Amino acid sequence: MGWLFDRSDRFFGLKKPHRRVFHRPLPEGVNYFFCLGGIAFTLFLLLFATGFMLAIYYVPSEADAYRSIVHLHREVRLGTFVRSLHKWSAHLFIVAIVLHSVRVFVYKAYRHPRELNWIVGVLTLVVALASGFTGYLLPWDQKAYWATQVGTAMAGEVPGVGSALMLMLRGGVDVSGATLTRFYAVHVVGLPLIMCLLLWIHFHLVKQQGVKGGL
Amino acid sequence: MKRSPEPMDRRAFAERLIKGLVVLGVAVASVIAALFVTPRRVREKITVRVPVCDVRDLPGRGVRAYPVAFPRGETTIERNVFLVQSETELFCLSPVCTHLGCLVSWHWSRERFLCPCHGGQYDMEGNVVAGPPPAPLTRLPLFTENGWIYVGVKV
Repeated sequence: MGWLFDRSDRFFGLKKPHRRVFHRPLPEGVNYFFCLGGIAFTLFLLLFATGFMLAIYYVPSEADAYRSIVHLHREVRLGTFVRSLHKWSAHLFIVAIVLHSVRVFVYKAYRHPRELNWIVGVLTLVVALASGFTGYLLPWDQKAYWATQVGTAMAGEVPGVGSALMLMLRGGVDVSGATLTRFYAVHVVGLPLIMCLLLWIHFHLVKQQGVKGGL
Repeated sequence: MKRSPEPMDRRAFAERLIKGLVVLGVAVASVIAALFVTPRRVREKITVRVPVCDVRDLPGRGVRAYPVAFPRGETTIERNVFLVQSETELFCLSPVCTHLGCLVSWHWSRERFLCPCHGGQYDMEGNVVAGPPPAPLTRLPLFTENGWIYVGVKV
């Protein structure tokens, strides 16, 4: 396998820029709190993998969404496990991002020249929260329905553009099958794509600028 | 205590440990994914009797297509079966091409069953005449009951 990788890497040249992953110099004063970003990324990878697996059995339709979740629990091997892994990773993902932000804030790592990476990080949190909001509707049970009813109604309270915003979110006057399919599309394709792009920028900047050391 | 010729430093050990953990993680994830996508219950195919036609409507000689309908899960499948009256016997041919499962149709002018997908051709008896099919068309069991012809279809 290694031989095959080396052969193809003569064309791709992936190895050389990543060789220093294990040999990157770290500043003084680094401790285990600097792992929080990595923990968040690991959770994102877990979310991506389990989310893909759930999408195999999930049916994003008004009539079948809840039934497909029940089917996943009752009939699919490890179905409950994979869904629970997705749910808990999602919760912990937000927790890890927030704790990571606190760490960056305390260590003053948001200051020049890293201000752009702070902004990218905040956008990552926004995308993560949006993923949480859209994903919450997908089980299509009472809790999901009413949470989205309330959440989209909040968007409706925005001065001026509120009602238009609410129509865009719901795809109609009420939370309905139209809402479900658009939340599904946003949750499964849109936001993960944006997230990948943001994370690429985030990591590239960390690589360029290095890790900010201790206090 | 005998030491190995080149003692591993902390960094090399950490690198190997991380790579090993990644390999282990991918292996475990692959097993979980394989179990997850494999259906737990696969239903047995059963043979159902489907009415075809009145005994009086049988072809005198040659091939005739009859539309039949049978349930599969929540949907109803509609397709043709072919009743063939040869010189010696009456039999029923399945329309499913033995190559890759497309549906053949009977062409009077050429006296052959033609498959639209990859050019498989069968004669009136269902034997392969041309193209890639590995076996003749399947003969379906026929039953007669109260003046009606029934065919056994695997669903």
